[in-house]
Amino acid sequence: MSSQASGADQAAAAAAAERRRQLVNRLSSILSRYGLLLAFVIMIIAFSLAKPDAFPTTDNLKSILTAAAPALIIAAGLTVPLVMQDFDLSFGSMIGLAGGAAVVLQSQDGWAWGIALLVALGLGLAVGVANGFLIAYLGGSSFIITLAMGTVLVGIEYAFTDQKTIFSGVAQGYVDIGQGEFLGLNNQIWIAAGIAIVLWVLLDQSELGRYMYAIGGNPEAARLSGVRIRRIRLTGFVIVALCAAIVGILLTSQAASSVPNTGVPYLLPAFAAVFLGSAVFRPGEFNIPGTVVGVLFLGVIQTGLTMLQLETFVINLVQGGILIVAVLVSQLGQRAT
Amino acid sequence: MTTRGTRTGQPPTPLVSVSGLVKRYPGVLALDHAHWSIGAGQVMGLVGKNGAGKSTLIKILAGATHPDEGEIRLGGERVEIHTPHQATEMGLAFVHQELADVPNLTVAENVELGLGYPKRFGVLLDRRRLRAKVRDVLERLGAEDINPKALVSTLSVADQRLVMIARGIAADARLLVLDEPSASLANEEIEKLHGVVRGLAETGVAVVYVTHRLDEIFQITDWVSIMRDGKLVLACPTDDLDKASLIAHITGAAEVASEARERAVLGAERGEELLRVEGITSPGVVEDVSFGVRAGELLGIAGLVGSGRTELVRLIVGADRRPEGRIFVRGAEVRIHSPRDSRRHGIVLLPEDRRSQGAVMDFSIRKNITLPVLARFRPARTVPMPQVRRERAMAGDMVSRLGIKTSDIENPVRFLSGGNQQKVVLAKWLESGADVFIFDEPTHGIDVEGKGEVYRLMEELALAGHAVIFISSEFTELAGTCSRVLVIREGRLVGELTGDEITDQALVERCYEDAAA
Repeated sequence: MSSQASGADQAAAAAAAERRRQLVNRLSSILSRYGLLLAFVIMIIAFSLAKPDAFPTTDNLKSILTAAAPALIIAAGLTVPLVMQDFDLSFGSMIGLAGGAAVVLQSQDGWAWGIALLVALGLGLAVGVANGFLIAYLGGSSFIITLAMGTVLVGIEYAFTDQKTIFSGVAQGYVDIGQGEFLGLNNQIWIAAGIAIVLWVLLDQSELGRYMYAIGGNPEAARLSGVRIRRIRLTGFVIVALCAAIVGILLTSQAASSVPNTGVPYLLPAFAAVFLGSAVFRPGEFNIPGTVVGVLFLGVIQTGLTMLQLETFVINLVQGGILIVAVLVSQLGQRAT
Repeated sequence: MTTRGTRTGQPPTPLVSVSGLVKRYPGVLALDHAHWSIGAGQVMGLVGKNGAGKSTLIKILAGATHPDEGEIRLGGERVEIHTPHQATEMGLAFVHQELADVPNLTVAENVELGLGYPKRFGVLLDRRRLRAKVRDVLERLGAEDINPKALVSTLSVADQRLVMIARGIAADARLLVLDEPSASLANEEIEKLHGVVRGLAETGVAVVYVTHRLDEIFQITDWVSIMRDGKLVLACPTDDLDKASLIAHITGAAEVASEARERAVLGAERGEELLRVEGITSPGVVEDVSFGVRAGELLGIAGLVGSGRTELVRLIVGADRRPEGRIFVRGAEVRIHSPRDSRRHGIVLLPEDRRSQGAVMDFSIRKNITLPVLARFRPARTVPMPQVRRERAMAGDMVSRLGIKTSDIENPVRFLSGGNQQKVVLAKWLESGADVFIFDEPTHGIDVEGKGEVYRLMEELALAGHAVIFISSEFTELAGTCSRVLVIREGRLVGELTGDEITDQALVERCYEDAAA
């Protein structure tokens, strides 16, 4: 029979094991924390060397930021329900619905653009409440409900746009939102920055944000602690749907027109950015600063690869591959914590 | 203890034997150099309180967990069981209390699941041969009334258990472990089950029968093993024992009577009745439970796992579907629809399963402790942005007050030991301003020292004028701390003990059977 270690020895061994584990954790969290930032920097240097005349310029920076702004708005919004382990797959269709509604109301019904804009935001609110009610109150799976909701929203959009591109009758005031500049930067950049800051404060600094992370970590513990789980989950769906409505407005205002189903191309990049972001700053946790880095990372890749004049299929392969790697890296971080 | 285990009746080479088994979980020694053996054709009762080590022993045999020390022998040869699949191949079969069948498959498909269905042309499932094979197995069990073609979801719980047993037989099991097989069965169903067990034993299968119903031990087993505190304390022919001595060995009353702690003089001066429940009922789970608890009182609720004790308190705090019955706080009737309502009325539950209910494991100690009282850290009434500096001060205070061992309050709770995790869950509620604290198995998985601290904490709360409800299936600790203990069995209150009546033995008797039996 083996001898039984004394209590003191056991405690010392446990403490040593604990220290070792903490060291390993720290190393792997540093790796996953700075790995993405490192890759980001290397990429910028590589593109700058490959296209020294086109890539590292102020104009290019501005254009990357402008293109990234709507992506940032939707990715930041998506971060909120994801923190609570809720998926939203309907925001792509919500973008199209909001943009389409705002444009149709101006061009076909002759409404003032301000009212049309408010109606588009109202649609976002309504869809968010509907998603949240079906999922948080009636217990539907967020994955399936929002997927179905997306289909419904596309149907509604097609019903009043007739699947047509509309490029007449858009008010100048409306167009100025997406095309205008402030302090030399496109308005969209300022709007995106504002939304990102508000959502960062919400998730990182507010009570509500703490409750959201608690729901994501252990909904039952949160509920027994007196957190209003259903109401807060519903709030998450409202936030992402409102962000989608804002993106819909910005895209149609910038283009001064509405194209059917504009939002769907934003679906995958938004998820990719949020998951990439969960590998930085707070590994394994969705967080807004991480999402910002994720969006910029994808924006730089997109612009860089386009400048290298690669074929579309290569761009697809690279973007899809990066999402897969990002998810794995964030899982690594999760295991470490 | 093995020497005692090899008395008359035990074959020279046992079918399965274990020796020196040690299994440590963080903060608890689940098996402490346990020895145990069983021979072919034996029906062995395995009894002991919750946490005595029975389920750990079974899990090790099933390959679901691995011992830290010790050896397992099968037919005299040393074996290592790494996976459940290996256990099956060695002829060890397990029927767990929770049914592990696949409800949307037929009886036949379940029985042969994973054993390799008979095939036609090497690929197509041969349903006819499958059914014939399973019909043979069921006949061997004496359960030929079960139709192999029936969907398992259409069977009664009793028949589903027989299907699980049939599965073991189909896999040529030499050892069959039945974990509480009679739970939720009616009397005639239990008789049928016993018939099956006896029949199997006659064909040489060794059967381990785990049960909390002591009468069953005398009805069905021919040998009994009693575990306590991770050790086998007695193995002998069932006929050598009577019920009283069985209970005495289960509780260790013979040895620990003198260890009983001096009961705190609490609730002597009866305070105001802070909480009263009347006729709490949730059909099939809790039936017509009424009681009250006063300020300064430490009220115990004794009950075994599955007796309805946890369900009862979850109903009271609104964690589950709203029950029938009425709840009064300080004499006024209140409606409680959610844990949030319950908190507002000053009643908090410290749940049994801290991993799944008590703590957010990835949250830091600080964030867990402040979660229920987060609004207190606002810089101004209308600004819902908690001030981390003040949170830290409060959490740091609780950590030192409860002696939570950690280097940093920003460490995730996941990294703490079981006992320290439990203390974090306690800390969450201490400052919540509640009047009534309900502790559901607060010492579960905590070492002896930690247990002492939890008792002290509950006593302090009571002394400070709160009402404390302490649920436990470790009856010595109830006997040591409470001034009054309610006993719950099968969802009903079946007894109330006060003062010196509260002994481990009295509680065991009431929890298992009517005291008269």
